[in-house]
Amino acid sequence: MSNKIYFLVLYVLNLIFTRVGKGENERNESDERKKEILIKIIDLYVVFAVFTALIQVAYMALVGSFPFNSFLSGVLSCIGTAVLAVCLRIQVNKENKEFKDLAPERAFADFVLCNLVLHLVIINFLG
Amino acid sequence: MGGKQDSTKSESMATTKTAPDLLNSSIFSFKSLKLKTKQQELLIRVSILGLVYVLAFIARLFSVLRYESMIHEFDPYFNYRTTLFLTEKGFYEFWNWFDSESWYPLGRIIGGTLYPGLMVTAALIYWTLRFLRFFVHIREVCVLTAPFFASNTTLVAYFFGKEIWDTGAGLVAAVLIAICPGYISRSVAGSYDNEAVAIFALLLTFYLFVKAVNTGSLAWALGSAFGYFYMVSAWGGYVFIINLVPLYVLVLLITGRYSMRLYIAYNCMYILGMLLAMQIRFVGFQHVQSGEHMGAMGVFLLMQVFYFLDWVKYQLNDIKLFQTFLRITVTSAILVGGVALGVGTASGYISPWTGRFYSLLDPTYAKDHIPIIASVSEHQPTAWSSFMFDYHILLFLFPAGLYFCFKRLTDATIFIVMYGLTSLYFAGVMVRLILVATPAVCLISAIAVSATVKNLTSLLRTKQKVPQSGSTKGAGSSKASSKVTLDQSQPFQKNGAIALLLGVFYLLSRYAIHCTWVTSEAYSSPSIVLAARGAHGNRIIFDDYREAYYWLRQNTPTDAKIMSWWDYGYQITAMGNRTVIVDNNTWNNTHIATVGRAMSSYEDEAYDIMRSLDVNYVLVVFGGVTGYSSDDINKFLWMVRIGGGVFPVIKEPDYLVNGEFRVDKGASPKMLNCLMYKLCYYRFGELTTEYGKPTGYDRARGVEIGNKDIKLEHLEEAYTTSNWIVRIYRVKPPTNRL
Repeated sequence: MSNKIYFLVLYVLNLIFTRVGKGENERNESDERKKEILIKIIDLYVVFAVFTALIQVAYMALVGSFPFNSFLSGVLSCIGTAVLAVCLRIQVNKENKEFKDLAPERAFADFVLCNLVLHLVIINFLG
Repeated sequence: MGGKQDSTKSESMATTKTAPDLLNSSIFSFKSLKLKTKQQELLIRVSILGLVYVLAFIARLFSVLRYESMIHEFDPYFNYRTTLFLTEKGFYEFWNWFDSESWYPLGRIIGGTLYPGLMVTAALIYWTLRFLRFFVHIREVCVLTAPFFASNTTLVAYFFGKEIWDTGAGLVAAVLIAICPGYISRSVAGSYDNEAVAIFALLLTFYLFVKAVNTGSLAWALGSAFGYFYMVSAWGGYVFIINLVPLYVLVLLITGRYSMRLYIAYNCMYILGMLLAMQIRFVGFQHVQSGEHMGAMGVFLLMQVFYFLDWVKYQLNDIKLFQTFLRITVTSAILVGGVALGVGTASGYISPWTGRFYSLLDPTYAKDHIPIIASVSEHQPTAWSSFMFDYHILLFLFPAGLYFCFKRLTDATIFIVMYGLTSLYFAGVMVRLILVATPAVCLISAIAVSATVKNLTSLLRTKQKVPQSGSTKGAGSSKASSKVTLDQSQPFQKNGAIALLLGVFYLLSRYAIHCTWVTSEAYSSPSIVLAARGAHGNRIIFDDYREAYYWLRQNTPTDAKIMSWWDYGYQITAMGNRTVIVDNNTWNNTHIATVGRAMSSYEDEAYDIMRSLDVNYVLVVFGGVTGYSSDDINKFLWMVRIGGGVFPVIKEPDYLVNGEFRVDKGASPKMLNCLMYKLCYYRFGELTTEYGKPTGYDRARGVEIGNKDIKLEHLEEAYTTSNWIVRIYRVKPPTNRL
């Protein structure tokens, strides 16, 4: 039971951080600066997500893996958002020639949609 | 105008199937209905797809027209029963259903051991139709689910072909897959089985994944994750996807085609697909614990390594340093991965490949170790005749298509080549898997047909000026069409091209005729109703199975337990509505072996086993009177093998004479007195089955039986159907002790 609460707390923290990330986006800066800051935020977010996943694995090593579905959903939500953030970073980074005609709004909308699906499944799986 | 006429004519030759094409061209020759070329094309394409959609549906309706709208075979009866339960009791009850009517006395956790995709799909269609006030019976929906999804598969095949090659190939692929016997065999109306929906889900997943790799968009990758989820919910064959996609990614990595689009597509699909797949109870945690899914995880980690290497290469601008770094990282990553896998497998955390899938890699495994897998007729290796029967001209169009794919290697064509080769290997191992190979074979053959026809028709049109010939060939690439000029040294090129086009037309028409013939003759029989030709050529229907099940339903107490071989379990529970001892799920080998032992023992020992299992009735299938060859006596040796696999008292050589299986006077004494023999041939010795033969002549084996004077001590005959195909016996309670 305590495992579930812990994972739930981490998941909520994850969500909050995403909101913060979105808030930063609406600042009034010039396009270049905005993009650079965005990349840095995404990198920081990925590091945070992986770090959270590692904490969860360490916790599981300490107290055992029951209930396994909660552990899996916690870890996979962290890995999932990390991976999706990396995909967003790839699509937004202006140095990637393949994506130069992809609007960053579209990339972000895809990112939000995938995160939504991810977290809906996680909530169902959390038990 | 000349250009427009030629374009419609050549399109009609390319597709060869639809009469309205010629009609269209004659309409368009009137100036009043002049549409622009692009609109003409769109109209042609939409009409072709519409006709193909209808064709795929109606080609599968033979058995509904000949017999009636009923569920075929064995497994579909279970699916029908569960769908009925779902529509009556709702989703929550269905998801948590524990069934005590099968596998008595163990019961079966149905909610956790089935793939719900098919049932949920049919239930959704049923509820939608009800909402629209079409009050159909759920059985009608179940019967017609498979043709409906076959039609949808043709649409997906069109889009997939468009993605891989161009619209021409897509159209040909749609037509080929609509009538291909390899697919029809498992998706006729009435064949309400998992594959009906699963092939649609398979092709959809592959299409969405290839689209994601081509475009690098997260939305398409999300779509492919949902397609994968649908596939996991529908069929156990999803293991093919979760191994083919990582293998494909690995091949791309090895051939140096790593790209950001690949990274995005695979990662999103893997994580989201894995999470969605774990929502199905039957799959559970297999994605992280089972050996069959480790390939996907390994490739996932490898992708991260590649991304990391890319980033390092970008940071360091020094090539030599990067090379050494690359070598060190890749070797250490592979070593770490290998060690982790080894530790996981050795400690037992990662379960090894299950018997079902291991026997695909090592086909001799099942025969020696798991007789129950080896005994299923669909699991036998495929004969060449099956390939020809199911694929016809696609067999030689497949290598031609491979040639075209290798000429134009893109990420998408590499995928379809890999899908084709791996699925054909598995189709060679097991007959049932011809179904999985069919979409790949159709797509690759479509590429061959489309590319050939394009080349030939462009040869035909080279006399015309260049602007007219270049613009009209659909949205695909104009690789060969616009720039071809006639080679002056070969004077009869145009005639040769016309001759070859006629040849292609002839081949495709023969294909269509073959497919229709095969569907009509071979794949439209319901298996539960048998048909034969009488002496005057009239059709005789044997409806014995349903007769017996309805007798059970109406004449036995509701808590009666029926013992039969596992083939008939699903049908007995669905139609007879009685508890059975073993059924087609075959999840408990010991239980089945117990039944096998009972069938192969003498009557006294068998009686003890039946008393221990609380059996009230025994059901056997006997084909001696009608010559029906899939009866229990022909399956008897499998009962002996399976029973003998668990209980060493049953020895197969006891039932054979000089290694030969006989039921006549020369048969072994154990065979002549075992329970199965007695139950099948009870009172048969008095029956004359064929003119000029002695009484007790078994028409299925072609011999006169050895033991005609059978007396039953512990059982009594309860019912024999009108053609003696199904025989039911009542188990007598023990005699009173005096």
